[in-house]
Amino acid sequence: MLEHYLPIFMMILGGVLFGIVMVKLNEWLGPRRPTEEKLTTYESGMEPVRTARERFSVKFYMVAVLFILFDIEVVFMYPWAVAFRELGIIGFVSMTVFILILLIGLFYVWRKGALEWD
Amino acid sequence: MDLYAVVFYAFAFITLAAGAIVVFSRNIVHAAFALLFAFFGVAGLYVLLMADFLAITQLLIYVGGILVLVLFGVMLTSNTIDVQMKTSTIQTFPAVLIVAALAGTLIGIFWSTDWKTTTDPPIQATAPKIGEMMLTSYLLPFEIASVVLLVALVGAAMIARREKKA
Amino acid sequence: MIEQILHSLSLFLPETTLTVFFCAAIIVGLVAGRTSRASLYVALIGIALATWFAIQQAGSSEGIFTGMVVVDPFATFFKLLIGMSAIVILLFSLYSAEVQSTAHRHIEYGSLLLAMTLGMFLMAGSTNLLMMVLAIELTSLSSYVLAGYTREATDSSEASLKYIIYGAVSTGLMLYGVSILFGLTGATDFYNINRALATGSVNATALLVATIMIVAGFGYKISAVPFHFWTPDVYEGAPVTITAFLSVASKAAGFALMMRFFKTCFIDANALGLPAGMWASLQGFEWNKLLAILSVLTMTLGNLVAVWQNNLKRLLAYSSIAHAGYMLMGVVVLSDKGLAAVLIYFIVYLFMNLGAFYVVMLVANKTGSEDIDTYKGLGYRSPLISVAMVVFFISLAGIPPTAGFIGKLFLFAALLDAKWIWLAVVGALNSVISLYYYVRVVRNMFLRDPERNAEPVVFSAPQVVIVLALLIPTILFGLFYSPIVELANASVVMFGMK
Repeated sequence: MLEHYLPIFMMILGGVLFGIVMVKLNEWLGPRRPTEEKLTTYESGMEPVRTARERFSVKFYMVAVLFILFDIEVVFMYPWAVAFRELGIIGFVSMTVFILILLIGLFYVWRKGALEWD
Repeated sequence: MDLYAVVFYAFAFITLAAGAIVVFSRNIVHAAFALLFAFFGVAGLYVLLMADFLAITQLLIYVGGILVLVLFGVMLTSNTIDVQMKTSTIQTFPAVLIVAALAGTLIGIFWSTDWKTTTDPPIQATAPKIGEMMLTSYLLPFEIASVVLLVALVGAAMIARREKKA
Repeated sequence: MIEQILHSLSLFLPETTLTVFFCAAIIVGLVAGRTSRASLYVALIGIALATWFAIQQAGSSEGIFTGMVVVDPFATFFKLLIGMSAIVILLFSLYSAEVQSTAHRHIEYGSLLLAMTLGMFLMAGSTNLLMMVLAIELTSLSSYVLAGYTREATDSSEASLKYIIYGAVSTGLMLYGVSILFGLTGATDFYNINRALATGSVNATALLVATIMIVAGFGYKISAVPFHFWTPDVYEGAPVTITAFLSVASKAAGFALMMRFFKTCFIDANALGLPAGMWASLQGFEWNKLLAILSVLTMTLGNLVAVWQNNLKRLLAYSSIAHAGYMLMGVVVLSDKGLAAVLIYFIVYLFMNLGAFYVVMLVANKTGSEDIDTYKGLGYRSPLISVAMVVFFISLAGIPPTAGFIGKLFLFAALLDAKWIWLAVVGALNSVISLYYYVRVVRNMFLRDPERNAEPVVFSAPQVVIVLALLIPTILFGLFYSPIVELANASVVMFGMK
């Protein structure tokens, strides 16, 4: 059973190694002659004036919450989709009700303007 | 030690070590990133338990969703300019005492209990079975889950949305 | 399968109604525009209809949706109780300054009240661990948001945040307990858990730990000590209407679920030689002693701290903690009589507690304050409302001839019947303490002079009608209590239990 996951494991290993090797290789091969100008933060040629660590707008949070809720909805759809034929009409109707209830949520956030950025 | 045990201990170690960083790290961003590895380790444990759908769900929702939300939360709140986040530990002694007692009890229970186990062979692909159960025996919780999600949506929108001046 | 689902649906009508109206409240509110009250009316109609459908189910006793929930007299009783308090709360809301000043959020108010009621209806009928957790979550999520409803007020946001944090911890503990219980028994269905436990092969310590963790979830809902920390702050910060709803309906739903959980899971169904109406706990697992400790802690702490409160909402918060302690005594005795006493207490508690909160709300509407000093000389400024308040308070203290006395009488009778003498003594002592702080408010209203230039406080006709609608049962049930006693005795029947 475990051997089914071998490709996934190889993939993860390959991904991690590739990332580390590329960064380290760059560090090792590239020439480094730092000057004061080079070490300042790049700000389109301007002098950096403030800290970059500013507070994010609460709007990002709203987007993230919406993403999670609809993410969960999609996760619920997956087992239904793979057993769709066996479940027949019951499955179809139940899933329709499930999606309809969440559609009201989409309608709500839309009308409330939570999907608009400003 | 066979391959299964090796993989199990590897995932358990990842989960526990990452969990320890989440708890002990003073830097809230480090803690949030360590959480990624904790979630990942748990997903691995689900795979070992032959719960493939659960493992995918763990990755999709926790790693892909909840963690992003946590990071946004960190970036929304940690204003490094004028707010100093308090991350010190207080009441160390009573806390250690209680935690030790609790941990002792729980470990004792897990050790000594004769857990209810099944002798059925593991299911090869769990998703179709879950789909079938979800829409027959567990139909009501499934539908109520959508209502819970809708409530969460309405609640989140009400709390987070900036009020337009009427 | 289809026939089974259709049959379940026919018995699920109250909950379906609530779900449909929940969706309708959102849509109607969005279509009707920002400042419309439409959602509140939709909520009112929906809850009234659902309660009506629930009453129609009186007498049926059946498990539906493959045993996820049951429809039985016990569940119907609590649905009636929860529905009635939801209707009263919505009527309050139509006259609440706090709610009316936030007209642009009426969609959320109406729809979340419907969702919360749906959650509590499900709590009243759940017979499966999964359904139980889901129902608690639905109720909790809606109440977190409603507690922070008046977002402009800082204490309301604080209330919401504290509620969420304590709620998350106790839900987490409960889920942990649920998973241990599942690991021990291999079942999520209450009846199957009982069967698995009855074989006697389960580790007793593990079962005790699981039970304590699950009780954390229940204790949070009914605000029992030591899971009560959120109560005073949330009660103080939330709008009065929501506070009143939490103190009555949320507590009732928590008690309903807890009593059903304990009775169906942890009672020895095959015990022999018991007098009629008495139960026996499973061999070697005396969970009722755990609840007895909880009960003593809850009422004592609630009453002792209430004595020091100067804000009426905080005072009522601690008083509601104390009342949870009294009602827990009825669960401890392991008998139908004790269960019936809790149900009687809840009917009485509905009227007197909602009444007390409503008067607090009316006074706060006029004066903008809930401080005890505001009540100085109120008896001269507004005699009718003050007299009503006195009646609600002496009923809460349990003095005859009010309904509160009847509630306590049946509780203590059940305790003495089951030979829990020491617990009855503790309960009686607590009632004496509670008398002190209730009378303190009454003294302020009638024996203190009002501020110099204080004018009479006048209330509108519908407001007076609502007060009277709560006042009259509080007195009436103190004198003619046989209908509520009969209702309670008929409602202790749970599906699948002797």
